[in-house]
Amino acid sequence: MDSLERSEIIGPVPFANYQNGSSLSSQNSPPNLGWHFPMEYQHLIHEHWRSFPAPQIYYQAFLFMAFVAMLLCSLFGNGLVLWIFSTSKNLRTPSNLLIINLAIFDLTMALNMPHYMINAVLGYFWGGDLGCDIYAVIGGISGQGAAVTNAFIAYDRYRTISNPIDGRLNFPQIIIIIIMTWLWTTPFSVLPLFHIWGHYIPEGFLTSCSFDYLSQDDETRYFVQSMFVWAYCIPMIIICVYYTKLFLHVRDHEKMLADQAKKMNIKSLSANQNAMSVEIRIAKAAMTIYMMYVFSWTPYATVSLLGTFNYRYMITPFASMIPCCCAKLVSCLDPWVYAASHPKYRAELERRLPWLGVRERNAVPSVNSGSNVGDGCDSETGTISMTNC
Amino acid sequence: MVVSVKVFKKATPNGKVTFYLGRRDFIDHLDYCDPVDGVVVVDEEYLKRRKVFGQLVTTYRYGREEDEVMGVKFSKELILCREVIVPMSNPNMEMTPVQEKLVRKLGANAYPFTFHFPPNSPSSVTLQQEGDDNGKPLGVEYTIRAYVADTEDERQHKRSMVSLVIKKLQYAPPTRGQRLPSSLVSKGFTFSNGKISLEVTLDREIYYHGEKVAATVQINNSSKKSVKNIKCFVIQHTEITMVNAQFSKHVAQLETKEGCPITPGANLTKTFYLIPLASNNKDRHGIALDGHLKDEDVNLASSTMVQDGKSTGDACGIIISYSLRVKLNCGTLGGEIQTDVPFKLAQPAPGTIEKKRSNAMKKMKSIEQHRNTKGYYQDDDDNIVFEDFAKMRMNNADMNDQ
Repeated sequence: MDSLERSEIIGPVPFANYQNGSSLSSQNSPPNLGWHFPMEYQHLIHEHWRSFPAPQIYYQAFLFMAFVAMLLCSLFGNGLVLWIFSTSKNLRTPSNLLIINLAIFDLTMALNMPHYMINAVLGYFWGGDLGCDIYAVIGGISGQGAAVTNAFIAYDRYRTISNPIDGRLNFPQIIIIIIMTWLWTTPFSVLPLFHIWGHYIPEGFLTSCSFDYLSQDDETRYFVQSMFVWAYCIPMIIICVYYTKLFLHVRDHEKMLADQAKKMNIKSLSANQNAMSVEIRIAKAAMTIYMMYVFSWTPYATVSLLGTFNYRYMITPFASMIPCCCAKLVSCLDPWVYAASHPKYRAELERRLPWLGVRERNAVPSVNSGSNVGDGCDSETGTISMTNC
Repeated sequence: MVVSVKVFKKATPNGKVTFYLGRRDFIDHLDYCDPVDGVVVVDEEYLKRRKVFGQLVTTYRYGREEDEVMGVKFSKELILCREVIVPMSNPNMEMTPVQEKLVRKLGANAYPFTFHFPPNSPSSVTLQQEGDDNGKPLGVEYTIRAYVADTEDERQHKRSMVSLVIKKLQYAPPTRGQRLPSSLVSKGFTFSNGKISLEVTLDREIYYHGEKVAATVQINNSSKKSVKNIKCFVIQHTEITMVNAQFSKHVAQLETKEGCPITPGANLTKTFYLIPLASNNKDRHGIALDGHLKDEDVNLASSTMVQDGKSTGDACGIIISYSLRVKLNCGTLGGEIQTDVPFKLAQPAPGTIEKKRSNAMKKMKSIEQHRNTKGYYQDDDDNIVFEDFAKMRMNNADMNDQ
């Protein structure tokens, strides 16, 4: 009953109500958010949400459909990555373990999607405290894990490309990195689970759960700010630094090769004639990955920081649904982005699932690819006998 | 008199254009380099009025293919020469004896071509990969290529293109220098007087592949420490200019306690023998080999030789050098004393007695290998298999009849 009483104490006037002039006391206004949460779960709802009207049914319906689509897309894309990378022998390289790890994190995130759909149908958070905690822990681990795996992929690619002879990380090193990615996720997912620091509450239309960024006490604010640095800024910095270094390296390397060619009186390196220059290709691929990262995690960072810096009124239920959807959407796109820049994976996809229509452009030999230089070149020896005239 | 001349032959997948080459190894004599001389035979009917273009291409591969991501390619192709082979640009061109023979043999549709390696072009070197790695080999590779097209830049079709891997190698100079490379080092210790001096002398400056490297080690111990053991290594230094990387690998080593411990005041003079061999380094990643063609008998990469007055720093591609390193272990507190003596490892120049001997050995080995790998070669989609020898001779007999 305590919680019901609390609902009558209205918090800061929410932005939404402030704008449309509706007040809670008016009889005609739609029911407030959280009105049909079962009594025993009412305590979960942060007072901030109570001042908002419940969402229209079409919002929930739309999100439900979006989640169905994302679930299928994620299962298909990440499942394909897991299947192909783990079963094909020429994709079994240390670096590819990181791609597999990313797919595992993305699939972990997909675990939440059926739960969300149940919530969307019921209109309240199914499972109460425990359900909310499980949902949020899974979301926290997979989200932070995917972010930091992205960062390590950037690092690994830099190592490989800057020193292709012996720079790539070996299996033990990659396995240590993978363990690190999982450890990385623990502080900001386990601490709130046990209410040691921060805690989990429903957010948005109260059909999704995440860490509490609404409470104004110092503990919560420091939690959110530390998490912002840990789970958003650090991976972002790593990604920026290594892709920038990688780009600069490739640029210098191209120049160096051109200089060497000049020593032999060769004007142009044939590989640069027709194809897009390597620098531009790298820049595009790096920008794609960087933008994906920004797209997936900036909404969460923004919303949660708004919460801690007293702009809580701007966090409407709809606004707080955006980050959760962005993060999940990116988990479906990850496999395609990483696959797109992985020629061997594309080749393998083309071979196994020709109906997907993946075409590995470089598979067509041209003078520039040099791909047919080495194959079978030694079988052509033969002898013909000649009369010496 | 009928003499059988070995000729290398490869045709395009559609069989309309065929390369004939008298040899696949081209020697860089420092002051000049053997030109690539061969003949292309074309089917005039197929060609119509199109041209046949020829290219001499070098491929640098400096990273595994499986590691290529984000559109980066760890290989670079440099077109060293390009030429129109058909129609002949210079009908009066001087032909080498092999070309003359081939043109006479192969008839009116045979067109000779000659490519010259540009100065400073690197030698063929292959970096060995780990056992099950079946990607393209790392290193420097040369290919000659011919394709049918209207213009040079036209996109080439696989069916009417043929490429053949060739090798560019260096031989040892005809005389091996008289100088005996040696190195002397001595080491004092922080908390005790006296020194240990170590002198290493090799019996030659240039060794041929398969030869014993004899290192005479002279140790003079006037310190209070004693030498616990002696280690000798032959080290291969590989500098990959394409990625500005360098590394060193042991290709032969021995460790001995003979005559040890060398107590204070004692001396030791001893000769150690080491043979750097490719066969002792099978499946080791990163060992440089002389540009090698599948399954062929192969030796360690020869030292890169440069013309007098030029430094190896100007060289391109993969630069190889060797040294012999001796390491003395003076116990945990004494630390180690080591010294390096550089030497060269090379192919004997043709004509020398050593060359004949090693050639005979190679021939025997390759005959055996062909026998073993026959089945394997048949799997290739190439139009020539070793079984075809008899058939090809018959073809030639036909030609003779005509």
